[in-house]
Amino acid sequence: METLDYDLVILGTGIAGMCAAIHASEASKNSIRIALVSKLHAMRSHSVAAEGGISGVLYPEGGDTQDMHAYDTIKGSDFLADQDAVELLAKSAPREIRFFEHIGVPWNRDEKQKITQRPFGGMSIPRTAFAADKTGFFMMRALYDEVSGIGNVSILHENFATSLIINENRFLGLHAIDLATGESRLIRANACIIATGGASRVFKFTTNSYSCTGDGTALALRAGLSLKDMEFVQFHPTALVPTGVLITEAARGEGGYLLNSKGERFMKAYAPSKMELAPRDIVSRSIITEINEGRGIADQESGLQHVLLDLRHLDHRAIEEKLPMVREITMKMINLDPFNEPIPVRPAAHFTMGGINTNINGQVMRDMNSAVSGLWAAGECSCVSVHGANRLGSNSLSQCAVWGRMTGISAAEYLSRNGTKQDVDSKVAELYAAKEEDRIARLIGGNGQNDPYRILADLRDTMDMNLYVYRNEKGMSAAKKDIERMASDFKSIAIKDKGKRFNTNIRDVLEIENLICLAQAITECAIRRKESRGAHSRTDYASRNDNEWLSHTVIRMENGNPEIAYQPVRITKWKPEERKY
Amino acid sequence: MKESQIAILTYGSMIGAPVLLALLALLNLSGLGTLYGIYTGLRILLAVDLLLFGAIGIREIYLGKRVNPIKLGIKTAEEQPIRNGEADTLRFRVYRFKEESKRLEESVYDVAVGKYTSVLGALVKIKAEKDPTISMRYSCNMGICGSCGMTVNGKPSLACETNALKSARNGIITIGPMLGHPLLKDLVTDFDDFFGKHESISPHLEREDRKEKYEAPKEYAQTREQIGRFLPYSYCIMCGLCMDACPVVNTNPAFLGPQALSQAYRYYMDSRDQMGERRLQMVNTKDGVWDCEYAGTCSEVCPKGVDPATAIQSMKFEMLVPKFVMKKEGAEMEK
Repeated sequence: METLDYDLVILGTGIAGMCAAIHASEASKNSIRIALVSKLHAMRSHSVAAEGGISGVLYPEGGDTQDMHAYDTIKGSDFLADQDAVELLAKSAPREIRFFEHIGVPWNRDEKQKITQRPFGGMSIPRTAFAADKTGFFMMRALYDEVSGIGNVSILHENFATSLIINENRFLGLHAIDLATGESRLIRANACIIATGGASRVFKFTTNSYSCTGDGTALALRAGLSLKDMEFVQFHPTALVPTGVLITEAARGEGGYLLNSKGERFMKAYAPSKMELAPRDIVSRSIITEINEGRGIADQESGLQHVLLDLRHLDHRAIEEKLPMVREITMKMINLDPFNEPIPVRPAAHFTMGGINTNINGQVMRDMNSAVSGLWAAGECSCVSVHGANRLGSNSLSQCAVWGRMTGISAAEYLSRNGTKQDVDSKVAELYAAKEEDRIARLIGGNGQNDPYRILADLRDTMDMNLYVYRNEKGMSAAKKDIERMASDFKSIAIKDKGKRFNTNIRDVLEIENLICLAQAITECAIRRKESRGAHSRTDYASRNDNEWLSHTVIRMENGNPEIAYQPVRITKWKPEERKY
Repeated sequence: MKESQIAILTYGSMIGAPVLLALLALLNLSGLGTLYGIYTGLRILLAVDLLLFGAIGIREIYLGKRVNPIKLGIKTAEEQPIRNGEADTLRFRVYRFKEESKRLEESVYDVAVGKYTSVLGALVKIKAEKDPTISMRYSCNMGICGSCGMTVNGKPSLACETNALKSARNGIITIGPMLGHPLLKDLVTDFDDFFGKHESISPHLEREDRKEKYEAPKEYAQTREQIGRFLPYSYCIMCGLCMDACPVVNTNPAFLGPQALSQAYRYYMDSRDQMGERRLQMVNTKDGVWDCEYAGTCSEVCPKGVDPATAIQSMKFEMLVPKFVMKKEGAEMEK
């Protein structure tokens, strides 16, 4: 097996991962060897699909303050966010937006050359900077281009990590498959940052890329580390029917209406002050309530019930300048021009608020008390937690940039403190990797009978059916049973492609394994939380219960069984209050 | 100057330009050797020819010729009648690269599609339901990640943005890998060379003060007009379609190609960049801008509306008549 040695390995090349690489390199004065590992080509990570923008207080002279940003975020989180982390986000975000300006992002600007900011859901003032509605794409291209100019950062495209090697609470390396050759690789490093993004592909109707299978999160869970708040999955209110492609919240930020089958702006019944710009959990519930009460519209092609997003009254030039991609998508995908017709939309799985349990610095926690040496997590795969039970639109990009930078710098400092030399543990890493190589070889060589793609389809069906916008005990228990059956079916999985080179059959199977294990965690945490908070909304426990549930769910696997504990929310300035818009 | 005016100037003077270019090149004003000047002159005469005979028409013919089974010695599957009964069943003839035989081999799949099924959607369905061994790249499903470049009926296309029913001819869709790139497996091609070319043009904003670039609490000044000059070229998703469509890339592997060159132009036009003329010198070579023959196929196939052809011609002008295309203004830190 090939062994590659680095000082720092960054798993995942989205905005968080690439920010981490740049700032780790900068903090070490370009002296450490950094590997950026992606299962795709590095510039194709799902961050490219971020559309609406990035939040941050750029111009306090306009009346905005970091405290307002923090409060909006905490209220949006249904008071589950850790308030010290949120304050850190609000404080650091403006610098990150300017950093991206300096590396080439063409932010929309006004006549005075100031970066334009637009209204977004749950934000009390226009605070979201944007580059048309391709913000994530422009940020990714700027990052990739910047990274390509840094000599000590190597990009390992299309390397699929299958396990983290952690010994005695210390990170040693990871095992990966080089997809181009199909060969195993041991990538050794003294420090690692996981930045592998979300896991919304456990759902069928989702805005996420095919690649959003939460690999890093699943790897952490299997390595015995803890995850936090996995029950909180964000459903984005406006995904295009029937494909699930995201129609950005900016469409409502720029003045779009949501209409039911009677042509009414139904949000006035649910959030009269914010209307269409209420936080996403509230808008999604409102849409599903409208549909459940018979005011939805059925899509002829897919049978899916939906409502309408109406942009017809908006200025065409404004759409072309600020929302070109909305029009591009609807024209190309469903042959619909939003200038003339309203867009069919319904809520789709969009963001994983939960993730790898980290402390405020992004360091990965083994359990509630002990951190893993040399291991950090940043971006959507991590749970810091700044989003609590519901993320506000445009806070995700700031989170990725802020914690990307922070973990990168922490890792560089850790390496300068602890030295970069490989030591006796390298033998341990080799043993681990050899075992993993063997496991995968047996998986490919085996003659299992169960069709992985059938299992995946069933998994996503049961998640959509039972853990969607509204949940209850009965549905979630049914899902739990289904997933247990799938986990057992997975033990005899059929892999038809026995080749080495670019074997996407085995990659799919390993992704499905990750999805099953994350679906289990989501379901387990969701069943136990007997209240409704943010995106976790139960019909059998319809209200928020701060007396019993103002706490984070922490899950880890102990001998194959989930072990769940609860950790209090850190509150600094803002006492929980009724959440009304 | 507005973007549209630049375009009119550039395209409009394409006919007069070659003469000027040939003269200047022969007079050795472009800083290259005399022999190379003659060579360039001849290439330019060729380009004039192309223009006279209609670059657009040639482009069409060229595109239509791609993935020609006879020329490439492709092993074709036995023809069978398309399954009856389902109006929306399409036949996918997929040319897959096999490592063992180093040949393209055809696999045929009949797939039921809906009104909005994309070519990618159909391929994913084939992989899940019919043949798990088929390999292709894909990720975002919304035309922004750049993974799923392939040829659909011979034309380099993004599979996720290509509607299956609309692409079918007599119920048949022909899919193949992008042959302008080295082949790995099935529809998967090797991008190492592509990324190498992109990196070779220093695709990042060059600033003298690195600390300021990473830390400064203010933005660089830039007007909307200045943004407009590079914005159209910054939509590149690095999907590789333009490289696949370019006749020069297909004949001279050393040619930097439309992707890298359009990005050189993108950074050159960005007023925040401080590399200035050095950026142009980097691509002022035979395998840089001067190997481009104005076929224009790059701009034709770009799924994001980037126009590498205009970018490259504009750089040629800029090299010969400095400050012709743009007035370079330094971007200062906002006070």
